[in-house]
Amino acid sequence: MQDQPQPSPLRIGILSFAHLHAESYAHQLKALPGIDFIGVADDDAARGQHFARVYGVPFFDSYDALLAQRPDGVIVCSENARHRPLVEQAAAAGVHVMCEKPLATTLEDGRAMLRACEDAGVILMTAFPMRFSAPLLEIKTLLDQDGLGRVLAVNSVNQGQMPKRYRDWFVDRELAGGGSVFDHTVHLADVLRWYLQDEVVEVYAQTNRIMHRDEVEVETGGLLLLTFANGTFASIDCSWSRPMNYPTWGGLALQLIGQKGVVHVDAFSQNIEAYSNTDLPAWIPWLSDPDRAMVQEFASAIREHRQPRVTGYDGFKAMEVALAAYRSAALGQPVSLPLG
Amino acid sequence: MKVGIVGVGAMGGTHAEAWTHTPAQIVGFVAEKFEHAQAMAEKYGAQAYPDLAAMLPHIDVVDICTPTHLHHEMTLQAAAAGVDVICEKPLARTVEQGRAMIDACRAAGVKLLVAHVVRFFPEYVRAKQAVDAGQVGQVAVIRLQRDVFRPRKAEDNWFLDFERSGGMILDLMIHDFDYARWVAGDVTRVFCKHLGDPSVSPGDHALAILTHANGAISHIEGSWAYPPPTFRTQFEIAGSGGLLVHNSDASAPIAAYWHKGDDDTAGEVPVPASPLLESPYVTQIKAFYHHLTTGAPLPVTAEDALAALEIALAAIQSAESGMAVTIRG
Repeated sequence: MQDQPQPSPLRIGILSFAHLHAESYAHQLKALPGIDFIGVADDDAARGQHFARVYGVPFFDSYDALLAQRPDGVIVCSENARHRPLVEQAAAAGVHVMCEKPLATTLEDGRAMLRACEDAGVILMTAFPMRFSAPLLEIKTLLDQDGLGRVLAVNSVNQGQMPKRYRDWFVDRELAGGGSVFDHTVHLADVLRWYLQDEVVEVYAQTNRIMHRDEVEVETGGLLLLTFANGTFASIDCSWSRPMNYPTWGGLALQLIGQKGVVHVDAFSQNIEAYSNTDLPAWIPWLSDPDRAMVQEFASAIREHRQPRVTGYDGFKAMEVALAAYRSAALGQPVSLPLG
Repeated sequence: MKVGIVGVGAMGGTHAEAWTHTPAQIVGFVAEKFEHAQAMAEKYGAQAYPDLAAMLPHIDVVDICTPTHLHHEMTLQAAAAGVDVICEKPLARTVEQGRAMIDACRAAGVKLLVAHVVRFFPEYVRAKQAVDAGQVGQVAVIRLQRDVFRPRKAEDNWFLDFERSGGMILDLMIHDFDYARWVAGDVTRVFCKHLGDPSVSPGDHALAILTHANGAISHIEGSWAYPPPTFRTQFEIAGSGGLLVHNSDASAPIAAYWHKGDDDTAGEVPVPASPLLESPYVTQIKAFYHHLTTGAPLPVTAEDALAALEIALAAIQSAESGMAVTIRG
């Protein structure tokens, strides 16, 4: 029996390690078969060189230099407000893109990114790992089989620790786009659009800055109540309400009220509790890594010349919800979508 | 102290049992149907009366456990007779009624104690104490959740009659509106979404966002959309210095797995039950007794109950109008 000819490996690079998720993606690129992690470009040369060394790949001193290697795809992990130029550069070079969430910080940037990739005929995928969470996928299957009947209401949470200790720019309004609302709303806004196969038509939000008030200038507490076109309503708690000694970074969970019953799903409950004489209690996760499946999907979409399961448009619509939340919080009243 | 109980449904029965843990004497019952009052009177060695007016001359305290819309008139009647009042939550069906009750009791010099029993549940009390002790710093985000099945009284299910009960938002969520206000202070803005159409939802379900005067925000879920015998509660209180988390599923001390069918042993009305040596309903009635006999402080005032009522009615108004409703302090 003759072996199938091995396809040549996909060549993928990472543009910027500003976002800490780049470390996970780099790890996946190294671990997944059929992928050649061609290197790192970063406008912070020290940071880029550091991670290039960690992963044993070349460092490029400009984004153009990496793109000149004619990779099949790049993963963009710059600061949220700096996604646009890198995505546009990659599109201009004819290179497929997976962009870290939130897609951008303004509607204008988001639209420009969608247009650039469409015009260039390249994939724009948004890095929404929750689309690849095994528990969340289980519920998606249940919903698609009408196992819950019509979903009427959802109570969802994506709370976390205040992320300044990971990267300073996470709490910089200009670079991040905002605080906890911008950081956390997009994951659940996307999961809800995916689950309900419907669009958000109204957003109400209230925010505050009581937790970590002296450390950051952005909001740290946020509650949203979304309404979908068919009337389903869903709340999102996006607060940075996990104290620094919480046993893990945070979590994401939903409670769905359907006509046939109620289901609760927690994307991050698969943990071992660890106690010790010397350390604080901690959780040791044993979940299936959604990042692995997400990077694999980016590679598969490139190889199969198709759209990925989660697109730039999905990233745009999720960002729109977060932007609407700020408008609502300022008004004290709900705001209609789409935003003008 | 002679106590008369009006209303012998789930709460009337619970209160009657609780009174037996105090030195007070239950002397009378009044019910919608006289034979129901007789049955209770027999059980507790008391008298059945045809109506409240007939019972009032014989009692020092009336414990009103009737459907919500009757609280107002019965309280005014009791006040006029100089009888102290204990009233189930919600205080009344409307804010105007609630105010009139407070005014009437004050004018008559009688007490008006409202049975916001969550203020006596140990998990809620401990969390409030922890907040007051500074354990979470300044409160920022509160999450309160109360999920039960739809009340299913065999006859005259007044809970499902919005005119009488105010529906799930007034009857159930008021517990958590009151608790949020207890923990984080006055509420200035309410936004609420509600499922109330029985042809669409298996039970009323609502989500509300409260904004407190001090800047804290609260997320409240109330539900009658769970199947029997569900009674689950959850809370989180996050602040500048820490976080408190409670989940009744996680803290349930007993898990039993029986080799039998899915017998539905739940009662008509969901009542929470985590094993305790003293039921919070008993703790509450004892506190009322001590307050009435010695003036010992209570954790909840009639004004608190009125404020919770205002929040609940604002939530109903928001759900109907689609707009956030502002509450003036």
